[in-house]
Amino acid sequence: MPEIEALGIVKRYGGLVANDGVDLSVDRGEIHGVMGENGAGKTTLMSVLFGLQAPDAGEIRLRGAAVRFRSPLDAMAAGMGMVHQSFKLFASLNVWENIVYGAEPTRGPFIDRRAARAQVAALAERYRLAVDPDAVVGDLSVGVRQRVEILKALYRDARVLILDEPTAVLTPQEGDALFGVLRRLAAGGRTVLLVTHKLHEALAITDRVTILRDGRTVASLRTAETNPREIIRAMTGRNVNLNVEKGPPHVGAPRLTAVDLIIAGAAARPAVDRVSLSVRAGEIVGIAGVAGNGQNELVEALVGLRRPDGGRVEICGVDVKAANVAAHRAAGLAYIPEDRAAVGSALPASAADNLAMGFQRAAPLARGPFVIPAAFAERARALIRRYAIRIPSERVAVGTLSGGNLQKVVVARELSHEAPVLIAEQPTRGLDIGATETIHERLMAERDSGRAVLLVSAELSEILALSDRVLVMFEGRILADLPQERADEESVGLLMAGRAQEAA
Amino acid sequence: MSVIFTPFLFQSAMQAITPILLASLAGVLCGRVGVFNLALEGQMLVGAFAAIVGSYFTHSALGGVAAAMAGAVAFSLVLAYGATVFRGDPVVIGIGMNLLASGLTAYLLRGTFGVSGAFSDPGIVGLGRIAIPPLIGVPVLGWAFGRQSALTWVAWALTALVSVVLFKTPVGLRLRGVGEEPDAAETLGVDIARYRVVTVLVAGALTGLAGAQLSLGAVSVFAEDMSAGRGWIAVVAVMLGRNNPLYVAAACVLFGFADALSINLQSQGLPNQLTDISPYLATLAALVISHRRRTRAPRPPAEVAAASASPAPVATGGSTLDADRGSRFRAD
Amino acid sequence: MNGRARWTATSPRLRPPPVLLAILFSTLVGGALVLVSGHNPLRAYAEIVEGSLSLDSLPDTLNWATPLVGMTLVAAIPLRGGMLNLGGDGQLVIGGLIGALLPLVLPGPGALVSIAALAAAAFGAGLYATLAAWGEARHGVPMLISSLLLSYPAVGVTSYLARFPFRDGATGLPQTAMVPTEARLHALSGALSAGSLLIAAIAVAAVFVDRRTVAGYELRMRGKNPRFAGYGGVRLERQAIGTMFASGAIAGLVGAIVVLGSQFRFIDGALLTPAYTWSGLMAALLVRGEPAGAILAGLFFAALQTGGFAMQRETSVPRVLTLVLQAIVILFLAMRQGVGRRSP
Repeated sequence: MPEIEALGIVKRYGGLVANDGVDLSVDRGEIHGVMGENGAGKTTLMSVLFGLQAPDAGEIRLRGAAVRFRSPLDAMAAGMGMVHQSFKLFASLNVWENIVYGAEPTRGPFIDRRAARAQVAALAERYRLAVDPDAVVGDLSVGVRQRVEILKALYRDARVLILDEPTAVLTPQEGDALFGVLRRLAAGGRTVLLVTHKLHEALAITDRVTILRDGRTVASLRTAETNPREIIRAMTGRNVNLNVEKGPPHVGAPRLTAVDLIIAGAAARPAVDRVSLSVRAGEIVGIAGVAGNGQNELVEALVGLRRPDGGRVEICGVDVKAANVAAHRAAGLAYIPEDRAAVGSALPASAADNLAMGFQRAAPLARGPFVIPAAFAERARALIRRYAIRIPSERVAVGTLSGGNLQKVVVARELSHEAPVLIAEQPTRGLDIGATETIHERLMAERDSGRAVLLVSAELSEILALSDRVLVMFEGRILADLPQERADEESVGLLMAGRAQEAA
Repeated sequence: MSVIFTPFLFQSAMQAITPILLASLAGVLCGRVGVFNLALEGQMLVGAFAAIVGSYFTHSALGGVAAAMAGAVAFSLVLAYGATVFRGDPVVIGIGMNLLASGLTAYLLRGTFGVSGAFSDPGIVGLGRIAIPPLIGVPVLGWAFGRQSALTWVAWALTALVSVVLFKTPVGLRLRGVGEEPDAAETLGVDIARYRVVTVLVAGALTGLAGAQLSLGAVSVFAEDMSAGRGWIAVVAVMLGRNNPLYVAAACVLFGFADALSINLQSQGLPNQLTDISPYLATLAALVISHRRRTRAPRPPAEVAAASASPAPVATGGSTLDADRGSRFRAD
Repeated sequence: MNGRARWTATSPRLRPPPVLLAILFSTLVGGALVLVSGHNPLRAYAEIVEGSLSLDSLPDTLNWATPLVGMTLVAAIPLRGGMLNLGGDGQLVIGGLIGALLPLVLPGPGALVSIAALAAAAFGAGLYATLAAWGEARHGVPMLISSLLLSYPAVGVTSYLARFPFRDGATGLPQTAMVPTEARLHALSGALSAGSLLIAAIAVAAVFVDRRTVAGYELRMRGKNPRFAGYGGVRLERQAIGTMFASGAIAGLVGAIVVLGSQFRFIDGALLTPAYTWSGLMAALLVRGEPAGAILAGLFFAALQTGGFAMQRETSVPRVLTLVLQAIVILFLAMRQGVGRRSP
């Protein structure tokens, strides 16, 4: 009998049906992939399986017996464990505190620290997940933090381990190491549920895949017997060309230049360590690297949100001395930020207000110190039309929009600046394939019309598909500047992990 | 110099520290569990009034203290539920509670005792000083420790207790987790709402003690708005001490001395309007110095830091002063 | 979760506006409070209404409205941008003292002296208010805290100055000398005075700036998401300083208007006893800083205050009840705004 089954799971959020009768069946010792686009219902299904949400209808069966989870506590008691996409860790606590949290060994009224450390060390040894129990989690790299998350589940003796997009934050090599761990766990009789949207991952490690689309199960396939096209067709309902059409670049003069940028970091090592780069008109330069290697700080310095401690930034030939966004923008820069909700927009404000940001000081939106509301509305309507943003009117608050539509608002606004330089950070994160396609096409169109585009993304496939040149960032330095022909997943992956020699 | 640093200064400093310390401990607990508490001023005031009422009707100091705790806890229900279950903005709730306390205590003062402004009565039993004979003999410090009200000792004992509970017990660990990453705590089975509500109420009891010390500690009197900004100083002490009970206590000692110093300077002949200011100036200076020491590494232009530190009642709600989080890699 | 989802699914048109609900709730709680202390709530409320809105008492209400609407704007303008100015008291007294002292030393025709005094009061108080903004930008001290902490020294120093160096020896009370008649602000007709016209003009200007100027747009965007405003090129530091200056300047102006228009001298404590600052703050919180609403809220709270006086006179219910009612309205709204926040 299957280790875990979901039968006809239905879950609604207000008017939205996230899961509309989802079925799932996983055998013991299996590595089972759950695939689908963003919004297909994978995360909701996992929330239900882990007891974070109660289904409106349907049943969960563990080893044939029906179970009902009222909370994650119930699920954990029944042997479920989950590693979330965004880690649920306490940055200021150390490793053993994070692992035993909620199930602490005690001696009288106090926590038994010695027992806790010993148990954690023993677990780490047994599953070959190297961690230092006393290290503070906030200081750890993402790969190590993931190990802590897995140990958390193992500490509670999880028989079924759910991992939600685990390789989103890893280098390819770290991903391989993770897969080794998963194979060991499966061989030891545990069951692994792997939620992913990455084809190559699913094909590499899973035994079977279940594919969700629009809240329903549309396919359950044996990995060995299927192929990428079949999976994509199931995920999207159509044939999608993953490869972006790309002509050769028509490169012009450098438009964005950084010379010897230095930005101090919290630790002894600088966050950005003498970085020089140059982006020319008509090309896309991609920065590959695991998150946390200085990309954020670098972009902040380029945009004007942060003053560098050394070096300079030139936009369209102008040395931008003042460290403020207004000056950088005035010199010719547009910026699509990583966090579209927290930085790229004001959720309670209307689409008209959001689309106007950056233009409010000049005609046609303003005359002297006064603004012209009618011009705001007109501009917004034009942009909504041009970018096919699904919103009832320009007066509606953008907080109601889906991720893809909100990103369209941000992109529409930034591109309408017609700035010579465009910096795009994680532009397609959390978007479904359709929206991702659109954004990729736009970026290529910008590049073809002579814009200088700097693309920062943790999705290696995105970087490799779009960039004319690939820079790899590691520990605040640019380790390599590879032309597209020489940038492949293996060599870039090695560089991302800091192994410059092996990549050469 | 010796005219200023008299033994009396130490004693009055210890007295002044007590209510601020108790209120700060309350602030620490609330901050650690993720509820930003700006209502300390109002909570203390309610406690002070309830203490007078309790002592008057039971003719005992203990009755006063018990009433103070009960009253402050009841008052804290607003914050406990308002900021958690009702997801209100703690900043607005805190300010509203302070104003409510001011008006409510003034109203009840007239209603209960028929007076306005201040109330005192022989029927009120204050907290006597506990004399510890062996200590009194010690020069200088003898004054500081030899004659203090019971609540002063309780305050320091509680400082140690809160420290131990926070850092050595399972409850404390879970509490800290709830404040730092509620999502993470929730997935590990901790009931966030329950932890927050209970913690805020326990903290409320501490503010009740602070209020009792205010109105029953030295002279048994209740005056309108007698908390006089001490609650705000407690808020600052919590910020300076970064929610760590021991550092916070150190900050309270600093402010207590500044307070006592101002009283001392007054008796030297300086006008009280000017000397009363010294705790606030000391507070401001401490904040500036603390910031300077903390930002040895250059940070982004103050623009972004300032922007994310100011409260946005519409957009965010929730703790607005913990903006030093920085950005973590987070998917949609 | 389900209950809330159901609530948000109801048409917004059917739901009563939260402000009205809040007032209703506070009326009920206040009524209970009055009952408990042995009085008749209906009578108390009737006195509030009559004591504020009847023809006889309307002049009083408008009189009270001038400083109260002014202090509401003081709180509302920064609040619109997500900032809190809690130092209104300090800025108020600085303006009041400058307004009281300058006419004593400035020569010239009365009208010019008044204008100069008002301008200086606004400028001085505005400058003091920017200290809090500067403290946050350069020293990381949150404006919320520093603005409040700064008001204590301001109150203390002005109190000292009024009691000692600048005391009016003739009267023996803690107050400065009388301002010469020519420099005073005169009543125009009935309750209307030059001061109230000035505040009304500022109120109109505030609404205009908010809706029709670049600065208003940028402030509103900051209030909705400060990181967005910064990312979009708004100079946040400058905006904070400018906003706090405007806020403090209005507070200083209010102080000077009260001194030059009714009290004619700086009386220690007289500007603070009516609690204009805190009532104004509560009125601003009611409408989250939106200027037009803030004016209405200020008028409403002014009516409450004068009604409260009448209530105390006629029924001996303490007038602090009105402050209690105001606080309850704010608290109720704070919680409802949280509950309603999930809905689009």
